[in-house]
Amino acid sequence: MSAAVPAGSRQHRRRQIIGWALFALVVVLIPFLIADTYSPTILGNRYTFGLGNLSQAIGLMVAVLGLNIATGYSGQLSLGHSFFVGSGAYLTAVLVNEFHWSYMATLGVVVPGLFVFGVLFGIPALRIQGLYLGLLTFAVAAVFPSIIRLDEVADRTGGSNGLLIDSDLEAPTWAPLGTVTEWLHAIPGVGSRVPDGLTGRQEEAVYKYFLLVIIAAVCFWLVRNILAGRVGRALVAIRDNPLGAAANGVNLAAYKTLSFGISAAVGGVAGTMLAMHSGFVGPDEFGFSMAILLIVGLIVGGSGTLHGAVVGGLAIQFVPVWSSQTQTLPGTDVALEGPYGTAILGGLLIIIIFALPGGTAHGFRRIKARLMPVAPQPPSG
Amino acid sequence: MGVLVSVLGVFDVSFDKLSNGELWLAQFFRGLSDGATYASVALALVMIYKSTGFINFAQGSLALLGVYLAYIFSVEQGLPVAVAVVCAMVASAVVAAFVERVFIRPFPPDHVLPLVIVTLGLLLIIDSAVGIVWGFRTRSLPSMFPSGAPIEWGIAQLTWRTIGNLGTVFAVVGLLYLLLSRTKVGLAFRAVSSNLESARLVGIRVGPTLGFGWALAAAIGTLGGALVVPDLLLEPSIMLRVLIFSLAAAALGGLDSMVGAVIGGLVVGLARNLLVTFLDLSELALATAVAVILVVLLVRPTGLFGSTRVERV
Repeated sequence: MSAAVPAGSRQHRRRQIIGWALFALVVVLIPFLIADTYSPTILGNRYTFGLGNLSQAIGLMVAVLGLNIATGYSGQLSLGHSFFVGSGAYLTAVLVNEFHWSYMATLGVVVPGLFVFGVLFGIPALRIQGLYLGLLTFAVAAVFPSIIRLDEVADRTGGSNGLLIDSDLEAPTWAPLGTVTEWLHAIPGVGSRVPDGLTGRQEEAVYKYFLLVIIAAVCFWLVRNILAGRVGRALVAIRDNPLGAAANGVNLAAYKTLSFGISAAVGGVAGTMLAMHSGFVGPDEFGFSMAILLIVGLIVGGSGTLHGAVVGGLAIQFVPVWSSQTQTLPGTDVALEGPYGTAILGGLLIIIIFALPGGTAHGFRRIKARLMPVAPQPPSG
Repeated sequence: MGVLVSVLGVFDVSFDKLSNGELWLAQFFRGLSDGATYASVALALVMIYKSTGFINFAQGSLALLGVYLAYIFSVEQGLPVAVAVVCAMVASAVVAAFVERVFIRPFPPDHVLPLVIVTLGLLLIIDSAVGIVWGFRTRSLPSMFPSGAPIEWGIAQLTWRTIGNLGTVFAVVGLLYLLLSRTKVGLAFRAVSSNLESARLVGIRVGPTLGFGWALAAAIGTLGGALVVPDLLLEPSIMLRVLIFSLAAAALGGLDSMVGAVIGGLVVGLARNLLVTFLDLSELALATAVAVILVVLLVRPTGLFGSTRVERV
């Protein structure tokens, strides 16, 4: 075990930079490694993990991030965040299909639109607290699919059949995917596993992945900055002790509605990302089961942490994928059937609440603090 | 008046329909029948809320499990339906008591949010377990009551099933009242609901009493499920819609009032059937539940019969 490094020292900075560089390398490397679908055989089961799974997970990360702002940071239990995600996805789908906008341009409507929507939703939520808000949002989540199926809007939303989105995202010619491939070949060890060239389909998938990574990174960065300042402190104060926050001059109503607005806007972006990824939106995708899954992601990852959203997004995407491909109980011949991925997620939710109330992000942080201790420094001046 | 006409115009209301008395009556009966089922599940929700202060989102799933057991006992084992339902109620009560002991009791009872999240986890586990064990094929569970209708006016039929559903719910409320007011365990339950700490101090075993509440709630929920399923078809997602209408009913009646749950259930059942028919909102049936919840929470958060909670300000 190494000695504690003072926070803000050169060693600490260096360690942080190395950490982020490694993370960035992994983020860049992975799409090339699994562009061809990665099919390992683990304990007698054969799996195929495509890049699409990962892209979907990135969209879900942003969705969990959005929920995190309302529920994790400002403590307003929302069991209906799928409503915002679904609205974002459908808004994007309709704008692309009917007005031939590009996907990225639709963000210009989705973000402000969903922000206003979230604020409007947050106003009645001011009078409704805790469990009651959970009750209301739970019902709202269940209603989303039936709104999409309404006869009045079905010719635009595609009703029960869902909506295929016309435009597809092709890698533009300027995208330096070939150059990146060559660089990656130079990395010893893993470089040899990077394919020499990408087919058109793979190129498109890799391009989409990077687009989603960039949008997600911007979202996380913006949310981090919002939460690191005055707004974040106010929200956490409201969550931990509303009376105390109000007594200290925090305008509860304004900050609570603001948190719903930001949360909905981020959720909308997540919807756009999911629509970009799959090129399809369907009403039941954004129903009540997604709402619950987002809560699972929030709790499993770690409520009130940004890292938690990343872990949560990965968990709610990959646990069902993994379980749907697991044919036999690992290591044995016992056949498994049925939707037990959901059961595993439910069990995970209860175990995490029980054993690790801060979520896995908290667990990681504790392990990291043990292995690479950083001594906090008093602020100078 | 002009506004009213234009509002009705938006909803595509035909005055033929509105003036059709038989249609009103038919929907009224259907509403009562649906309302009775919502009322039973709402009663179960209220039992849990009253004693522990949180909403059990897994209540619908426990009822789902119970209804599947009733299906097994009646259709596969050949028991009479009423007997099968009683067996299923007992079985689901045992399961619920087990669930309460293992998943709920370890958590401190005054932290409500983790408990709510645990019930969401239970919802996921039970629903998918039902899917794994019994598959997604739809099945039909026969009703406990004879078919046919003793009273008919044209298309409006007061069926035995409607009468039976209503009678069952009122019987359940009556029995519950007797149980809670006349028995020792009922007294303990009321004591724990009213003040957990004081109840503990006077020597009531709080844990088993709450477990008893869970068991009772699950049995009532199972009964509610057995009332609703013959109208629909049994499949793993069936109780979700029922749960949402029941939540609306419980919110309307006041989350801690049993009488409120029954009246709320009937009102939601009626509202749903009448609105859907006369405003042509078949897709928006669920949305009426949301509207009820929203309006109640905004206008009168304690519901019609709930007790006002005094909070420190």
